[in-house]
Amino acid sequence: MASVVETRAAGLTGPLAQTVDGPAEQRPFADVARDHLDRLYGFCVRLMNDPSDADDLVQETLLRGMRAYDDLRDASRAKGWLFAIATNASRDLFRTRGRQVATVPFDAIDADGDEFSLFETIAIEDPFPYSDELHLDFLRLFRDDDVQAVFGSMTPVFRLPIILTVVHGFSCKEAAAILEIPLGTLLSRLHRGRKQLERGLWDYAVANGLVTTTDEDER
Amino acid sequence: MIDCREAVSRMWAYLGRDLALKPIAEFEAHLETCQRCCGELEFSRHLREAVAEGEGATQMPPELRARIDILLAGADDANQGTA
Repeated sequence: MASVVETRAAGLTGPLAQTVDGPAEQRPFADVARDHLDRLYGFCVRLMNDPSDADDLVQETLLRGMRAYDDLRDASRAKGWLFAIATNASRDLFRTRGRQVATVPFDAIDADGDEFSLFETIAIEDPFPYSDELHLDFLRLFRDDDVQAVFGSMTPVFRLPIILTVVHGFSCKEAAAILEIPLGTLLSRLHRGRKQLERGLWDYAVANGLVTTTDEDER
Repeated sequence: MIDCREAVSRMWAYLGRDLALKPIAEFEAHLETCQRCCGELEFSRHLREAVAEGEGATQMPPELRARIDILLAGADDANQGTA
């Protein structure tokens, strides 16, 4: 039977906490891990915000996963289970390297940012006066690396809920379990993250000359 | 009946199928009477798709993949050894 430490290291809490006393009949760990490698790597890059640290985190996650795999009862939950291990391992890596785990007090968030609406800003600024699809044309300005740049500038605690739910398709409940935070906290961070993303996309578009604003037109 | 502010706050949870039945019913009832929120819902759907595509495009570097192949081959060997 796995130790408590291994079970915790594997992030098996809440909806992910489906453990058994012994190994279950399931696919080899290597096969399961290979199914999720690219996604796991992308998640690790975002957790660490540094490609070299992400390399270390992926490997550490797989080593921990290998050791704790017998605890995983349901292989269909393997992706969330690996992501939870990665989240836990990232905290340990941060501690080892003397880096601060990214947390932000709520009052540090720009109060105006919480009210920002990208949908309304596009409508008001009207960057494409002859467009029949004003809002979609705005999104079409962004290539994958533009989106990644905006994401990279976001506060990690608000970025991760979006990555887990929107990019990787986890439910809010699953994402809360992976991050080991209450569901209400997850929902709050998801909302704030969304607002930060909207603001980030608009600011990026303006800063990189993808759109011109009313202020600039008047100069 | 919920207002636009509340509807907007529920939009991403709705698109992620993360709302319970009652909030869904309230949200959809609001949409029936609000063209503005219908537009923002459609925009939010496309925005989420853009984010998923942009962020999902991260590729693992070949050197790391090679190291992981070796690591997982070791796990395969160990598995066969204990089978």
